[in-house]
Amino acid sequence: MPQFETHFFSSLIFWEVVSFGILLWVLWKFAFPPILETLETRERKIRESLEQADRHRAEAERKMQEYELKLSAAAKEAETVLAQAKERAQRLLEENEQRLQAEADRIKGDAHREIEHERRKAVQDIRNQATDLALLVAEKVVGRSLNDADHRRLADEALQAVAENYRKA
Amino acid sequence: MENPLHPFELHQFVQLSLFGVDISLNKAVLMMWVVVGLAATLLVLGGASRRLVPTKLQSLAELLVEFIRGIIVDTMGQDGLRFFPLVATLFVFILFSNLLGLIPGSYTVTSQIAVTGVFALMVYGLSIVLGFLLHGVKFFGILIPPGTPGWLLPLMMPIELISQLARPISLAVRLFANMTAGHVILGVLFGLAITGGALIGWLPFAFTIAMNALEVGIAFIQAYIFTVLTCVYLGDAMHLHGHEAHAH
Repeated sequence: MPQFETHFFSSLIFWEVVSFGILLWVLWKFAFPPILETLETRERKIRESLEQADRHRAEAERKMQEYELKLSAAAKEAETVLAQAKERAQRLLEENEQRLQAEADRIKGDAHREIEHERRKAVQDIRNQATDLALLVAEKVVGRSLNDADHRRLADEALQAVAENYRKA
Repeated sequence: MENPLHPFELHQFVQLSLFGVDISLNKAVLMMWVVVGLAATLLVLGGASRRLVPTKLQSLAELLVEFIRGIIVDTMGQDGLRFFPLVATLFVFILFSNLLGLIPGSYTVTSQIAVTGVFALMVYGLSIVLGFLLHGVKFFGILIPPGTPGWLLPLMMPIELISQLARPISLAVRLFANMTAGHVILGVLFGLAITGGALIGWLPFAFTIAMNALEVGIAFIQAYIFTVLTCVYLGDAMHLHGHEAHAH
């Protein structure tokens, strides 16, 4: 085998040691340090980014909770306000109803009273006129004028008797 | 048919000598320079961009660094990382040698037993020196597996000694043999394709394509195995019998 021809060994070994030494020196000095540094930097950067992301997420969750809390408080408040409004509306409605009822009752009572009053007045008028008429007739019949006050008293008594008769009937 | 071992032959380009030692240039030496030049360029450029979102070359360089770091931490623990430059350079050198050797007309540096032998001796020698530096005489304890009864020692120690001595040899031969065998098979298949002609030659030619793909995988795997075993041997020297291996 050509690889066992020993007369090449010395040059092979010499140049191997030299070239390996050079490669070792070059890589040791100029290649490995920047590569290792870059790797470390990236590792640190990634770790920092992850930590930051964690922090941000925690903060976001906290904010979210805060907002949810606020939201539920607001919803509760709205509910209360609504309930109060309803209650107030109900109360107003009832008050109005009562007030209107009272007003209606009052108007009705007034009307009743007025009607009664008018009726009485009408009855009185009728009575007066009837009395006058009766006096007129009686004057014509009797032919002499009676004292007005006496007449009136007599006629009233007569009418009263008629009315009592009428009521009894 | 062409001799399939022919591609492994070396011829002197330029005759050089240093203190009487022959250091003539040949194809393998040129390929070492190409390997060093290419690996250094790619990794230095990959490291230079330093972007947070990496460029393609940067990704490749970072992938390689992470890969080697993973191997070291898995086999040696965190304190093995001080060997990172050595282990990573070893991996890069072997990987680039294996891969560039697959380009037709180039030369596979790692198919030379002298080259793999030097790497293996370097790694094993370092592990021995490290072991004695860290543990002193107690490092001889590596010859005694934990829990061995006293009466078995005369048997176990020679066995462990042999297994220790086999380490650099197996390390060197594994890489050399894999690279050589792959290229021999490629050579044989391609020779068959040429001699087979148009009628039947396409069959071995198709195999050369498939084998070439396989060889790319083997190039990676052998570089990986060499690196892992380097870490294992250094790790053994650092943590005798793995006493401390899991303490970190």
